[in-house]
Amino acid sequence: MNHAVAARVHETAREHTTELRYQGLVTRGIAFALDAAVINLVAIVVAGGVALALSVLSVPKDSIDTVLIAVGGALFVAWSVGYFVTFWSTTGQTPGSRLMRITVRSADDGNIVRPRRAAVRFAGLVVAAIPLLAGFLPILFDERRRGLHDMLAGTVVVEAPELSRESEPSRPRTPRR
Amino acid sequence: MTESYYMDGRRLFGATVRLGGTVGHAAMRPAAGAVAAGLRLERAARGAAARRLSEAALTALDAALISPVAEEAVDRAMASRLARHAVGRAFEGPLVDVIAEDLVRYAVVERIVDRLLADGIVEQTVARVLDGPELERVVGTVLESPAIERLIGQTIASRLADQAVARLLDSEELWVLVEEIAESPAVTDAITQQGYGFADEVAGGMRARSRNADAWLERTARRALRRPPR
Repeated sequence: MNHAVAARVHETAREHTTELRYQGLVTRGIAFALDAAVINLVAIVVAGGVALALSVLSVPKDSIDTVLIAVGGALFVAWSVGYFVTFWSTTGQTPGSRLMRITVRSADDGNIVRPRRAAVRFAGLVVAAIPLLAGFLPILFDERRRGLHDMLAGTVVVEAPELSRESEPSRPRTPRR
Repeated sequence: MTESYYMDGRRLFGATVRLGGTVGHAAMRPAAGAVAAGLRLERAARGAAARRLSEAALTALDAALISPVAEEAVDRAMASRLARHAVGRAFEGPLVDVIAEDLVRYAVVERIVDRLLADGIVEQTVARVLDGPELERVVGTVLESPAIERLIGQTIASRLADQAVARLLDSEELWVLVEEIAESPAVTDAITQQGYGFADEVAGGMRARSRNADAWLERTARRALRRPPR
């Protein structure tokens, strides 16, 4: 087996450069809802496990409840932030985004965003949700369907053409200005 | 004295015989010429008659060969018990052994094979077999025969097959090939398609509907705000 054979086998792997298709509010909302379901499901399972563990221990409930709630809340926030930041900065897709075949990319060069920018995007997401989700309305009017969090982080949400190859970083795409 | 007389008598006798021979020869010369001429004439006449007879026989043979009766006669002769009997006797007798011994003695088979090989009969035969429909027929017949099934079954069940498989599994090239094929886009796409199956189909429907909903929502929002469509 030599390189020529390997190249022939992989010959069909050539990707076709396609025009970016920005994704709208409904698609992104469904993806976010799926992610929220995953996050909450995991949180519920973990919380249930912790509650079961504590139930068999002789821990004075009154004294530890407040602490548990504070720690649980902090863990939930960390889990949520970590979930989005990790997926956005590694594959560009959360599980919900993958199911809906959309991906988060840098608006500048089309690459996968770095963790810092992903964290900014998550913060922007929270900010956009605070005024009764008004921060998401620009998605309906912006030429590139960007919400407030996208504008803050310099990102776009585009269609991922092939499910199995979206993990490849730095796709040669040029987003529309 | 007596001896002298004896010698004179012998000489006289010899001379007399020679004289008689000479006289007889001279007398017989015309008769001998006539006899020789007669013999030449007889030979010429016999040769001419033989040639005529041969030509007549060949003409008769040609006429017999081209006549439809000849074929029928040959068929009947070959179908007759006499022909079978003759062939049977020929095979029973020493004729076959003699022919076989002569074939071996004079290397007839080797000479024929050498000549055929020199004339390229092998190449011509192979080309003919490959081009003709006989090969496909034979292969089809062989593959459909129960004997081949049994043979394949015995081969698979034999130790030889196990050893071949073991050797194949030990070869590094096989695993490189498997790895290359497994990583090829065609295979990964097929696995992806197979793995997602129904779920992907449902998700695809959901994606299509969500994108339609996106377009509808944006049209409605832009119309409400009196903005031009995208």
